[in-house]
Amino acid sequence: MGIIRKLDEPLANKIAAGEVVERPASIVKELVENALDAEASAIQVDVEEGGLTKIKITDNGHGFAEDDCDIAFERHATSKISEENDLFHIKTLGFRGEALPSIASVSHLELKTCTGEEAGTHLVLQGGHIIQSGHTASRRGTEITVSNLFFNTPARLKHLKTVHTELGKISDIMNKLALSYPEVRFGLTHNEKPVFQTNGKGDLRQVLAAIYGMQTAKASLQVRDESLDFQVRGLLVKPEVTRAGRQYVYIFINGRYIRNYPIFNAIMAGYHTLLPIGRYPIAVLHIEMDPTLIDVNVHPAKLEARISKEKELCQLIEQAVRETFHQEQLIPSVQKRDRKESVLKPEQQQLDFDQSHAGFPEKKERKIERQKNATAVSPPVIEEPAAKYDQHRDNQEQPDQEWDETIEQAFHSPESSSPVDKAERMPRVYPIGQMHGTYILAQNENGLYIIDQHAAQERIKYEFYREKVGETAKEVQELLVPMTFEFTPSEYTTIGEYEDYLKQIGLAFEPFGQHSYIIRSHPQWFPNGKEKETIEDIVGQLLENRHISIKKLREELAIMMSCKKSIKANRYLRADEIDALLKQLKEAEDPFTCPHGRPVIVHFSTYEMEKLFKRVM
Amino acid sequence: MQDTADQNQETSLAMKFSISKDKLVEGVNHVMKAVSSRTTIPILTGIKINAGLDGITLTGSDSDVSIKAYIPLEEDDEEYVSIEKPGSIVLQARVFSDIVKKLPSDTVNIEADSRLITRITSGSSEFNLNGLDPEEYPRLPQIEEENIITIKTDLLKHLIRQTVFAVSTSETRPVLTGVNWNIQNGKLDCVATDSHRLASRSVAVESAENATYRNIVIPGKSLNELSKILDDNSGEAVSIVITESQILFKAKNLQFFSRLLDGNYPDTDRLIPNESKTDIVISTKGFLQAIDRASLLAKEERNNVVKFRTLSGEVEISSQSPELGRVFENVQAEEIKGEELKISFSAKYMMDALSKVDSQDIRISFTGAMRPFLIRPVGDDGILMLILPVRTY
Repeated sequence: MGIIRKLDEPLANKIAAGEVVERPASIVKELVENALDAEASAIQVDVEEGGLTKIKITDNGHGFAEDDCDIAFERHATSKISEENDLFHIKTLGFRGEALPSIASVSHLELKTCTGEEAGTHLVLQGGHIIQSGHTASRRGTEITVSNLFFNTPARLKHLKTVHTELGKISDIMNKLALSYPEVRFGLTHNEKPVFQTNGKGDLRQVLAAIYGMQTAKASLQVRDESLDFQVRGLLVKPEVTRAGRQYVYIFINGRYIRNYPIFNAIMAGYHTLLPIGRYPIAVLHIEMDPTLIDVNVHPAKLEARISKEKELCQLIEQAVRETFHQEQLIPSVQKRDRKESVLKPEQQQLDFDQSHAGFPEKKERKIERQKNATAVSPPVIEEPAAKYDQHRDNQEQPDQEWDETIEQAFHSPESSSPVDKAERMPRVYPIGQMHGTYILAQNENGLYIIDQHAAQERIKYEFYREKVGETAKEVQELLVPMTFEFTPSEYTTIGEYEDYLKQIGLAFEPFGQHSYIIRSHPQWFPNGKEKETIEDIVGQLLENRHISIKKLREELAIMMSCKKSIKANRYLRADEIDALLKQLKEAEDPFTCPHGRPVIVHFSTYEMEKLFKRVM
Repeated sequence: MQDTADQNQETSLAMKFSISKDKLVEGVNHVMKAVSSRTTIPILTGIKINAGLDGITLTGSDSDVSIKAYIPLEEDDEEYVSIEKPGSIVLQARVFSDIVKKLPSDTVNIEADSRLITRITSGSSEFNLNGLDPEEYPRLPQIEEENIITIKTDLLKHLIRQTVFAVSTSETRPVLTGVNWNIQNGKLDCVATDSHRLASRSVAVESAENATYRNIVIPGKSLNELSKILDDNSGEAVSIVITESQILFKAKNLQFFSRLLDGNYPDTDRLIPNESKTDIVISTKGFLQAIDRASLLAKEERNNVVKFRTLSGEVEISSQSPELGRVFENVQAEEIKGEELKISFSAKYMMDALSKVDSQDIRISFTGAMRPFLIRPVGDDGILMLILPVRTY
C-alpha cells in the first residue's frame, strides 16, 4: 500500500502561502504589484492594526471581467504569461499565478472589481472558498479587502511582530514600490491616518522627498548612463547625507526591486572615498534591460535575480556613479540653503584675474634661459597672455614682495596647466588665515569656506600614492621554505587558466599534488610577514573578478602613507604654505573628501551669514 | 670660457667644490633642525647648498624657522673647503643628510650640472642625486642689522630652558605658543605661559642704550631648536636682531631666523600676586623628589594631582588613586610662615618648574587654596614660576 498521495488543493495553497504570504507586508506587495501589472495609475492602500485586522487595496487598473473572477483564485491561474517562452522575457511583476489563491487561503477576502464596461463583480471568500458572489457598482478598477489574516494558520499568526513592526514593513514595501513607479500615485493610511502619499507625476525626486524629506531630495543628483544592453538612471544622494545601514540603496531592474550584492558593490565603488567608514548612501537606481537578460524566477519573493552580463552592468553603474560625483561640487553647506537661493538666478560673469598672476618680466626671462641651459625636453611654457596684464597691474598696485614670491611658486608648479573642467569643480578661494592651527579659512564671493588642512593634504597625497603603489618593482624574493596553497577543484582550474597572468605579477604557481599549488618565490613588495595573506587576497581577487589590480590591493597602504606624510592639525602654516595647499587642492581629482570619506571643505554662504546677523530676515 | 660653453653644451657644470666631511656633517645637522618632512611646499623638504667665493652656506627652512650654516674656506689655519665653481643646488634633506654621515672618506666632492643632477663622491663611493632648482627656494628674510643685542651663549640657553617649557602646545591661542620678550634699559624679561602655569626670567643684556622692544613673541618650538644647535662651550656671545616679524640669532658660522608670533601677548604682570599668606622655604631637590614619588600614584588619574598640606615645621605631600592606593610623605621645611594651608596642584607642573631652578632652596608663596602660587629660588629675583592650583571637591 503506497503512502504517497497527492495533496488536496486547499492544503497545497496553504503550503504555497507559506512562501508567498509571510506577513501583512507580503500581501501589500503582491496585491500592489498586481495593481501595477493592471496598469493602475493610482493605488490606495489602507491598513488597520499593522495589516492584521484589515488591508484594503484600491486601484484604478483594468479590473477583472466576471468570468475571470472565478478562475483567478485557482492556483497557477494568471493573465500575465501564457506559454513557456513567456517565462524568459517577463515584463510584468507577477507571473506565477500564486498570489491571489495563496492570500485567499489564509484570510477572509473581499473582491470588488470592474473593467468599466459591464457591471462590477463582488466576491467574498473565506479560507479560499467563495462563500458569496454578486454584482456591484461599475467603477473601473479593483478593490480587495483582506481581513482576519492567518485565521486558519495559528503558527504564522503567532510569529507576527508588533503592529509597529508590521506597519514598518508595509511602509518599506510601499516606499520601494513608489520609488520604482514614480508615475503612479500611491497612498498609504494606517488606522485612517495618512502615512505617506506620492503625487504620481513621474518625478523620482518628488517621491524621494515624500519618503525622506525635502533636504535629502535636494541633496540628490541625477544619474543617467547607458550601454548597448543596459540603461541606468536614478538619483544619488550626495555623500553629505549618509545612513548607517545599507538598506537605503534601492536597486530596481525593469521596475522590480532586487537585492543584488554585485550591483550594490558597484554603487559603493562609485562612492569610493566619498563616504566615511561604516556609512552608506541613499540611492535609487533604475536599470532597464531586455527581459531576456534577466531571470527573476529564482527567489520565492522575487527579491533576487540572475543577470546576464552582470560584470558589464556593474562597470557601467560604477562609472556612472563616479562620473556623477566628479562633475559636482560636493561642499557641504553649514545650513541648508533657503528655497529662494536654490532657484537658478542669472549669473553675472566676471573677469578672471588669476590669469594675471602668470609670469613677471624677470621671472619670464629666467625661465626661458633655464630652458636653454637645460636639455629643453619640456615644451615651452605659454606665457603670452600674461604680458598684457603686467602693465595693468603695475598701474594699479605696488606688488609687495611676499605676494610675488607666492605667485612665482604657484606659477612654477608643474601642475598649473590642468584641464579647465577639473579646476571648476573646486571654487577659487582666497585665504583669510588659519584657525587653531588646524583649519584654513578662505573666502570668495559666495561666502566663507573652512578647510581642514590635514584632510586636504591627505587627499592630495592619496591621489599621488594611489597611483604610486600600483607601480611595483619587478624584484622577486626566493623562499627557503616554499608555501603551499590548497584550493577547491574549481579554484584550482581557474588558477591554472591564469597561470601566465599571475607570472606577470611575479607569482609562479606550480601544481603540487591534488588541488594544491606551491609558491617558491614572491614579489619583493609583499608586506613582511603577510606574504601568505597577500597571495590569498590576490587569488581571491582573481577568482572574483578574473582580474588583478595591485593598486586596489595596496590601497590601504596608500591611505596610510598619505595620512602619515600629511601635515597634522595644530600646526601653524605660513601664508605661502596655505596658498600652495589650496592650489594643490584645486588640482585634486576629488577635492571634497579625504580618503577616509571625511569632508575636506565646508561652506558658509554669504546668505547664511547675513541671516545669522539678521541683515536679511 | 665657461660662459660661452654654457650656452652650447647640453649639460654643463653648475657648481663644484670639495669639503671636509666633518664640517659638512656638522653644518647639515644644524640646518636639518629647520627642515620638516611634512610641508605643503615640496622644495622646503630640501637643503639649499650655496658655494660662494668665501665658503659654503647651507640653508634649511620651515614655517617657523630658517637656519643658515656657514662653512668658511679656512679657519684656524685649517683648510676646510675648496671651491672650483661657485653655484647652488637644493637636495632632498633627509637623504642628503643620511648620505653625508655615512660617506667613507674625510673629504667630500660635490658637483651639480645644469640639469640639476648632483654628483657626490667620497673615496670610492659615488652618488648621483636629482636636485631641485635653487631659484625656487624661498628667499630668507632680509634683516637690517641695527640695534644689535648681545647675550652670552650659555645664558641664552639657560633662559630658554627656564621659560620655554611653560608655553602652550595648542594652537587655540597661537600667541601663547611663544615666549614673550621685552627689552628695556639693558634688561631682558622673558615670560611664557599656557594659562595653567607661568615661567618668567629676567637677565641683563648688552644693547644700545635706549633700545626698547615690547611684545616680541618667539615661537617656543623655534627657541627649542635654537637651544639645541647653540654650542654650550663656545663661551661666545650671540647677537640678536629684531624686526617687525622676524628675529635673527647670529652665532659663529650660524644664522638662525625665526618668525615672530602675531597678536598681543596678555599682560602677565598683574597676574602675579604681590602679597602672600603662607610662605615656605624648602630644599629644591628634596621637594622635587617627594613630588616625583607622590606622582607615581597620581599618574593614573587624569590630572596628575597631588595634595599638599602644611604641618608644623614640615609639609605633607599625598596622593591617591582609587585603584592603586595612596601615598603620604612629609618633607622637612626650612621655614614656614603664615596661615595653615591645604592645596592641590598638578605634579607635572610643579616638577617642570622645580627642575628648572638651579638654586639649592626655593621659596613658595601661597595666597590661599584657590589662588595661584609663586615659586622663587632663594636669593635670585630673576626667576619666577607661577602655578595655578587644582580645585578639588
